[in-house]
Amino acid sequence: MTDHTADNALRHEALWRRIPGVVLILIAMVAWFAIGNPRFLSGDNLANLGLQASLLLMLALPMTLIILTAGLDLSVGALLGLCGVVIAALLVAGWSLIVAVGAALAVGLIIGLINGYLVSYLSLPAFVVTLGTLGISEGLALAISHGDPIGGFTPSIEAFYRSTVGGVPTPVIAAALFCGLLWLILYRTRFGNYIFAIGGNKEALHLAGVKANLVHMAVYVLCSLSVALSALLLLGRTNSAHPSVAVGMEFEAIAAVVLGGTSFEKGQGWLLGTVLGVLAITVLRNGLNVLSVEPSLQVLCVGLMLIVALLIDRGRKGEMAGAAG
Amino acid sequence: MTMGPAPAIDGRQAAPLLRLSNIKKSFPGVDALKSVSFEISAGEVHVILGQNGAGKSSLIKVLCGAYLADGGEMEVDGRPVAIRGPADANALGIAVIYQEFSLVPYLDIAQNIFLGREGAFAKAGLIDKAAMHAAARQVLQQLGLTYDTHTYVHDLGVAHQQMVEIAKALSQNARILVMDEPTAAISERESDRLFEVIDRLKQRGVAIVYISHRMKEIMALGDRITVMRDGAVVGSFLRGEAAAGELVRLMIGRSLDGMTRRAPVGAGHCVLSADRLRTAKLQDISLDVRAGEVVGLAGLVGSGRTEVVRAIFGVDPLTGGNIHLDGAPFTLRPDASIRAGIALLPEDRKRQGLALPLTVGDNTVAASLWRLFRYFRFIPTTARQVCDDLIARLNIATRGPGQQVHDLSGGNQQKIVLGKWLAAGARLFLLDEPTRGVDVGAKAEIYRLIDGLAKDGAAVLVISSEFPELVHLCDRAYVMRDYAIVGHLDHGTLSEKAILDLAVHP
Repeated sequence: MTDHTADNALRHEALWRRIPGVVLILIAMVAWFAIGNPRFLSGDNLANLGLQASLLLMLALPMTLIILTAGLDLSVGALLGLCGVVIAALLVAGWSLIVAVGAALAVGLIIGLINGYLVSYLSLPAFVVTLGTLGISEGLALAISHGDPIGGFTPSIEAFYRSTVGGVPTPVIAAALFCGLLWLILYRTRFGNYIFAIGGNKEALHLAGVKANLVHMAVYVLCSLSVALSALLLLGRTNSAHPSVAVGMEFEAIAAVVLGGTSFEKGQGWLLGTVLGVLAITVLRNGLNVLSVEPSLQVLCVGLMLIVALLIDRGRKGEMAGAAG
Repeated sequence: MTMGPAPAIDGRQAAPLLRLSNIKKSFPGVDALKSVSFEISAGEVHVILGQNGAGKSSLIKVLCGAYLADGGEMEVDGRPVAIRGPADANALGIAVIYQEFSLVPYLDIAQNIFLGREGAFAKAGLIDKAAMHAAARQVLQQLGLTYDTHTYVHDLGVAHQQMVEIAKALSQNARILVMDEPTAAISERESDRLFEVIDRLKQRGVAIVYISHRMKEIMALGDRITVMRDGAVVGSFLRGEAAAGELVRLMIGRSLDGMTRRAPVGAGHCVLSADRLRTAKLQDISLDVRAGEVVGLAGLVGSGRTEVVRAIFGVDPLTGGNIHLDGAPFTLRPDASIRAGIALLPEDRKRQGLALPLTVGDNTVAASLWRLFRYFRFIPTTARQVCDDLIARLNIATRGPGQQVHDLSGGNQQKIVLGKWLAAGARLFLLDEPTRGVDVGAKAEIYRLIDGLAKDGAAVLVISSEFPELVHLCDRAYVMRDYAIVGHLDHGTLSEKAILDLAVHP
């Protein structure tokens, strides 16, 4: 019926186009950094890379779910700082770790409910709503800490952060488990189906008799709760809580999702792409670190990489470029 | 109304599955449904035929629970029922296949079919994908389809999406399927596929309410055909009882006798001449419009009328053919078109023709801003003058140039869109459904306005789905079908009947 050679060629082309630009960038960067400094591939540095990636993963994976619903959460960085401050302040005040983490989760729950309720039930733009909770979170963190870093709490958090299981840092294992959990939720549960449906056709979900607004809100709550838990990783890394240390992490989280090929429209995207995006950002920053490039230039490079990856993807989907108008 | 015996299924006589009696629905100023009665049996295809505004959509909306009927009775299986919302309709097994699909693009076929009903496949909270896909394949098999159920709906063509939509309805045990112009957006081969599926559905005892303008498929598919006009049923026939011509005559009804034809104006030089225009969709469109002339572009919704004016204005790129303006070849680009004096009044004026939150003044000068600048400085007094002139000339009911367009009536909004182009010095007007959604009084005023434009020497091309309006308004008309011009009617031959004969499928 159809010309088989043409059919095959088309399939090859489709496969080639399906490899996201981020993979190409990742391969190129690893090769370049490895050649530039052999220390890049050393066990120590790889462990370090994994530690850096694990925190970003904890933020970027739930961010993927939010972006799949055609939304956005700008509050994750500020909320991470706030939860860190809450945990540290309670620990310093003598409360147990469980109470401190419970309080952080409660803070995350409240911010998540505010974000989710306003975006889903009241249809307010996610960009503005989460910009508001960004300000609220950062302000609260500054108020609680009086603007100063909080240190001198239990060393158990740092010990957890530095521990390894079979040579692999525990936070990396935790992040991998978290990734598996979210993968199951997104691809193997009805909740996951509904996330794609909210971004793709929320009306269809309503018509199917699903409480679409509730599902929509739950995605924001899930994200904020993950952020609250991630505060433990942040505290372990810095061994102190600084109110605005994590402000700006929403940039890297969103960049990782977009690098991974998830679109802001129609619920198009994939979770593992975000893992690749996180790796690309982490490898870039780590590699530049190893090459002793200034931190300010590193942020600039992440921004550049984001745009380059988009251009690569657009360029390879040549026909899309003209179709936009 | 003919009340023949219901068609036999499996050799026995079936009682009507659904019966609507004396259904009434009115909106302020309009009786959308005036005591409509309608019935359908299991395994039957019942076609509803009617012009735009005849009440077909209202009837469907009452049936699927989108509208609440003001009066009348409904029975399913001989039992009285009430449909108060979509959930009631679903519970009764009534499903509508809309043209805008209720599918999620980045879920696969199986996930879409069972959206909201994944619970049936859940094991310990996780979806048993294998079971779900097996069930999906089974549903598709009933329709004779062998899709890979892992395909994203986004990657399917319109016709296949429609099939998924049908499968979805079927999997919810729909017994009454309403199909609203299912062949409007799909090719002939795909239509044949759809008809095969409809056949299978009939064999399974599904009742199908089928809405279409295409006489050929109506005659082939319809076990029963009901014709609606002005919110009422004007005839109901069993297969073979009425010829296509009879149905068309019923559909049009009496002509609007009260309406007078526009007095022909001596046409001037040829302003627009399109020669064998082709776009991705259009096939060899040739037409011309002269100064002082109002020319109609008739045809049913989806026949390609809007695409023609978009091509002329330079919105959609041409793949062939050329356009002459005042006899000279013309490059098509919206900005060049505006400067050359071509005005496009889009069908959807709220989205494409007006900036609703802006003021009357802002909107009236939007197409002529380039005339209001001198050495890069905006001349507000000139703008004000332009606006005041237009308000007076077009008799726009507004508090003044500072009022938000949002607050104006549909008719006045349409006048502002016209005015915007008058201010820009347009002399070729492309009007796409200029009276859609405006009340009768405003309609008459818009007719006068169009008449006035032609008298002032402008060339006007009007698209309308209301054929009486075209007959009333136009000197002559082109008729379209399937993205091609299928006929030309001059002042002598232009009539509703002539338009319909050309516009519907033979």
